[in-house]
Amino acid sequence: MKKILQISLGIVTSVGGFLEIGSVMTAAQAGAAFGYQLLWAILLGTLCLIFLVEMSGRLAAVSKHTIVEAMRERFGFPFFFIVLIGMVLVAFMVLVAELGGIGLSFQILTGIGFPWWAAPVSLLVWLLMWKGTFGLIENGASLLGLVTICFIVAAIKLRPDWSSAASGLVPTMPHMDKAHYGFIAVSILGASISPYLMYFYSSGAIEDKWDESYIPINRLIAGLGMTFGGVLSMAVLVTAALALRPRGIQVDAFDQAALLTTTALPKWGFYLFAMSMLFACFGAALEISLAIAYFFAQGFGWNWSEDLEPSKDARFSLVYTIIILLAAIPLVAGIDPVKVTMVSMALTAATLPLAIVPFLFLMNDPIYMGKHRNGWLSNSVVAIVILISFVLAVISIPLQIIGG
Amino acid sequence: MNLVRDVLDKKLLDREDCPMGRVDGLVMHVGERSQPRITHIRIGGSTPWMRVHPAFAKLGAKLARLWGPRRTEPVRIPWSHVVTAGRDIKLDVKARNTGALDWEIWIAEHIIERIPGGGQEEEE
Amino acid sequence: MEVDVELLLNTKVRDVDGKEIGRIEELHIRRDDKSCLVEAYLIGASALIERMSAWTLVRPIQRSLHSRNLYSAYRVSWQDMDLSDPLHPRLRIAKRDLRHVP
Repeated sequence: MKKILQISLGIVTSVGGFLEIGSVMTAAQAGAAFGYQLLWAILLGTLCLIFLVEMSGRLAAVSKHTIVEAMRERFGFPFFFIVLIGMVLVAFMVLVAELGGIGLSFQILTGIGFPWWAAPVSLLVWLLMWKGTFGLIENGASLLGLVTICFIVAAIKLRPDWSSAASGLVPTMPHMDKAHYGFIAVSILGASISPYLMYFYSSGAIEDKWDESYIPINRLIAGLGMTFGGVLSMAVLVTAALALRPRGIQVDAFDQAALLTTTALPKWGFYLFAMSMLFACFGAALEISLAIAYFFAQGFGWNWSEDLEPSKDARFSLVYTIIILLAAIPLVAGIDPVKVTMVSMALTAATLPLAIVPFLFLMNDPIYMGKHRNGWLSNSVVAIVILISFVLAVISIPLQIIGG
Repeated sequence: MNLVRDVLDKKLLDREDCPMGRVDGLVMHVGERSQPRITHIRIGGSTPWMRVHPAFAKLGAKLARLWGPRRTEPVRIPWSHVVTAGRDIKLDVKARNTGALDWEIWIAEHIIERIPGGGQEEEE
Repeated sequence: MEVDVELLLNTKVRDVDGKEIGRIEELHIRRDDKSCLVEAYLIGASALIERMSAWTLVRPIQRSLHSRNLYSAYRVSWQDMDLSDPLHPRLRIAKRDLRHVP
């Protein structure tokens, strides 16, 4: 019974991890600019993430090591330090975007500008981490995030031509704005294949004391959970294609994205959008803050657990406290979270090789994985993801400049 | 046994399974004619930073002198205290007594416990 | 003399004639009650693969390329290594006398 509960909660957990301001804004921009043409990017990102998340969980369950711990031990401190720098810089930007997303949600609900919400929102996120347990964060934020199902409802209500939508699952090039198309494709992949999600997931498996008996559950959670998140993103894209594109609305601002749900659900759409973004960004902010703190603590060998009192894992607690405090500063200064979102998604794509390459070694390590090493399918997927990540790393910054 | 694969960078646990850092470095005694021996495990200080670049080690040492427990030297644990070397390295020491937790204790006492809800670091 | 093992890694090793052998990637040790004795140094690309526990990845590539010795390593016994200058380790023997490890 406990494991069934964990499956359902684990699936729900993907909401906080997958759907957040980055995936919503990139999917909305994709739909508004190119209709269904970029559905393939979400599909590709989702498939990659399913495999990577499954591997993260399997590594933790079998080796009782998180990805970061295993990476430090196999690759040494200098490599760990390089990944730390890359990961923390990008994750920090994403955290700014997520806290900004919460602030923007309050802005459209209350009319009070998001810079005024930066401090209280950051305090709330920090307070939940300071006083809450891992279970409360994992499950609470995710259950609240179920309101994002409104995007699926909105997409269905707009009656898309499903065969046209299905054609978007096959990559095609547009006739115009190729650079912009490429930039959004890269951003979608950066929003989907988020390294912090993998670090959080493997840490969560250790927090939840997984062992080898959780391997089948891990597959279910990774498969169903990430698919659920991917479907939500696709629903956003489809809704944007139907609600925004015909009106020539480009999603440059957060309040334009609110039209995603107000068109299909005139009565409740506005509030549903605001609540969806609020809870999705809240869940993501918690996950990213924890992921950064986990990275430091696991890499340096400190005591760590969200279930401990802060004084019992003082350095771990200090890291997330400082990170959240610093992330509030640009928002208080009025920096546009939507712009930060788009840049951070492209930078995530640029730094993916650092996160993905260690997987290939760790998942084939007989000492860590024993008989649960990667098979040929998983290794092939990792190899393809590494190839994609290197291509993204090369093209993301130029595309950001030309097409962003 | 392989020293780099099985010891270096591994997590260290004390006799009560309390995490006390990682094997950041190892000291090897090399004699003129005697077989080299690993004599100490080193934790923290400038040890890991020297592996990246000496400039990081210098910067780290400068910062460590400004605040915190003002400890700049790494903790040295004699190899004779190693009990097992498997998934983690287990030591026959109490973490608190080695100095490996000096930063943890300092941050707990000077920062975390001063914030409401931070809890209390237990003295044993 | 004390040597920092973590800084010894990746240093280039030359033989007694000054010929470059490779880089120190691993150390074989023997635990003996309360002590830990260094038995040998592994030098070369194969040693790095051993240290990374990556043979399950590399061997299929070796097989498909029909190469038995795609990567090589040398196992240098402790007696044959001169660490008087840890930044420039030298062998006490020539490369031709080294034992090749597949």
